[in-house]
Amino acid sequence: MSKLSILAAKVSYSLLSLAGRGGSLPGSIALKLDPNSLKGLKFNGPVILVTGTNGKTSTANMISSLFEKAGKKVVSNRKGDNLKAGITSVLLQNAKGNGEVDADVVVLEVDELNVRHVLPYLPVSAFVVNNFFRDQLDRAREMEQLIESIEGVLPEYTGTLILNGNDPNTVRLALKAPKAKARYFGIDRNKYSFTESKEASEGKFCPVCGHRLEYDYYQYSHIGRFHCPNCGFASPSMEVLLKDIDLNRQTFLFNDKKFKGPYEGMYSMYNYAAVLAVLDQFNLPMAAFEKMLKDAPRPAGRNERFKKDGKEVILNLVKNPTGANEVMKVIERDGTQKAVVIVLNDHEQDGTDVSWIYDTQFEKFMNPQTECVICSGTRAGDMALRMYYGGYKGDLSIEPDIEAAVRKAAEKADTVYVAATYTALLPSRKAIGKVMG
Amino acid sequence: MMKIKCAWMYHDIMDLYGDKGNIMTLQKRAKERGIDFEYRTVGIGEPADLSEFDLVFMGGGADKEQEALIPDLLSRKENIQKALDEKTFFLLICGGYQLFGQYYETANHDKVPGLQFADYYTATGKGRSRCIGNIVIDATLDGETLRLIGFENHGGQTENVAHPLGKVVHGNGNAFNAGYEGYYDGRILGTYLHGPLLPKNGELADFVLSKAIQKKNPDFKRQDLAPIDNPWEEPARKALLERFHLNENPEQM
Repeated sequence: MSKLSILAAKVSYSLLSLAGRGGSLPGSIALKLDPNSLKGLKFNGPVILVTGTNGKTSTANMISSLFEKAGKKVVSNRKGDNLKAGITSVLLQNAKGNGEVDADVVVLEVDELNVRHVLPYLPVSAFVVNNFFRDQLDRAREMEQLIESIEGVLPEYTGTLILNGNDPNTVRLALKAPKAKARYFGIDRNKYSFTESKEASEGKFCPVCGHRLEYDYYQYSHIGRFHCPNCGFASPSMEVLLKDIDLNRQTFLFNDKKFKGPYEGMYSMYNYAAVLAVLDQFNLPMAAFEKMLKDAPRPAGRNERFKKDGKEVILNLVKNPTGANEVMKVIERDGTQKAVVIVLNDHEQDGTDVSWIYDTQFEKFMNPQTECVICSGTRAGDMALRMYYGGYKGDLSIEPDIEAAVRKAAEKADTVYVAATYTALLPSRKAIGKVMG
Repeated sequence: MMKIKCAWMYHDIMDLYGDKGNIMTLQKRAKERGIDFEYRTVGIGEPADLSEFDLVFMGGGADKEQEALIPDLLSRKENIQKALDEKTFFLLICGGYQLFGQYYETANHDKVPGLQFADYYTATGKGRSRCIGNIVIDATLDGETLRLIGFENHGGQTENVAHPLGKVVHGNGNAFNAGYEGYYDGRILGTYLHGPLLPKNGELADFVLSKAIQKKNPDFKRQDLAPIDNPWEEPARKALLERFHLNENPEQM
């Protein structure tokens, strides 16, 4: 590890900060100077990586907050990006001249395709994997290749795997990590569990022998209790198992104690379970978990609510069928008269292939309570066409200007749901701010 | 009442990239014309006589999942031949398209035999490369040319295509810079176009409906279907065509 690369990252970071930038560029410069920049760093405590298709940002943020509430100094990439260069930036900025990272704990959210570029270069103590779903397949290629790229770096991994025990795609990782310990988190059968899955799903076949998997129950998408009738590959016994889920009250039971979480939907319950598995692994006090839940900030665009004069606008990010289906369920559960605005962009970060809108059950809100649907974004026409072919009978329109779309929706109904893809999220937020400000 | 019977092959495996949108489109456009569109799904091990259907649809799947259905598909070869002989129309996307050829090579270089109803075969992209992006083609279908818009995402490089579906206007096609896309011989329409294919290409959807109807009414033409008031196809197409500086007029082949 050269002092030069640390210095370069620090200098470039100061300069870029002055210029109002930052992000991954210092890391890119450091990696150019020294491709092994990460390898020589020294750590005083655990290094925790978090990956998965959905929920990795929320989960990593909660884990960081958990350690902070337990009185630890945490370095994380909360504000940076989750690719190798961004992670390198964050670590080098927090490193002393001798390469020692100035923190009790390091928590890093890692993009799934970057795990192979990060995990082998750090002394990782816990590797948390939430789930694998179809996500922007044009970028991530097919699921199988993605999972294989992670499996490729596991044979030499000696830390602990903290895996979703209800996702065959994450459980299979333990098979490729003979030197690692594996611990599992999951959710017990509850009133939302169902036995027939209609949602777009991965993992229909056993990753070990190729036989079709059987499910005792599903929680959402392909997440549930599974087993292979041929070879015995199955949901393992869980170190952390949440019970008595109540999605309306957002509560769950863990070790006979009831908790109330800040986030909606079944997928959030899995995020809490992942955080509890980390708590368990590192023997942190339950009080830290409670404090974390109490003080948790609501991330931008995750059921973010804006209220004014008896009107309410609720903003959600939609980025793939599974995440979007959970948002559809939230809209469906709200029985009031409402208007819906969908902002569909197809820039690189959104995924240039918009076909996922056909794997998303927009039908969930195609009912008389939805007075109008207004489509915006670079692919507004595709969205309107999706509503048309889905059989929506209410007032359907295209409005290229997001602010005008939100204004029109707020005139039609007191409750407005805005669903926006990644690059549409900030513009939508701004537009809502203007209308509701 | 006119009726179309459709078999949707391996709907739970071959459903990548919103291919189910094609069935939604056919169903809606048939219903708008007072045609009863009835479909049933046919999965691995489910008995079905495909020659009883007017239309058979198969989408694309992930490599690993796709391999699981090969033995079942090959066991239906004689029945598919019978269906083709009796003028059942086959609409095949991506993996479905590849499986009707001689063979296809997976990203791991395994050679998987196909049904061999056509001479084309599919090799894998060098170094796991894939043709990915929006695509526009001018397809020639029984004498008329339609401009089609879709999204391609395939590692497979399909070669030796005797009758391509159309000429590539923007994008790759059957292989990197192939110039031509898909396969069409009057009974089988195979293509890499996802998007899904049919919602943005209403005329093609109607063409598929008319081919299915022709099984029982040989003189039926696409133009016999009444026009539909669907104001959303035009803006959806325009967004992409304008991006590529194209218009709605196909080049005559």
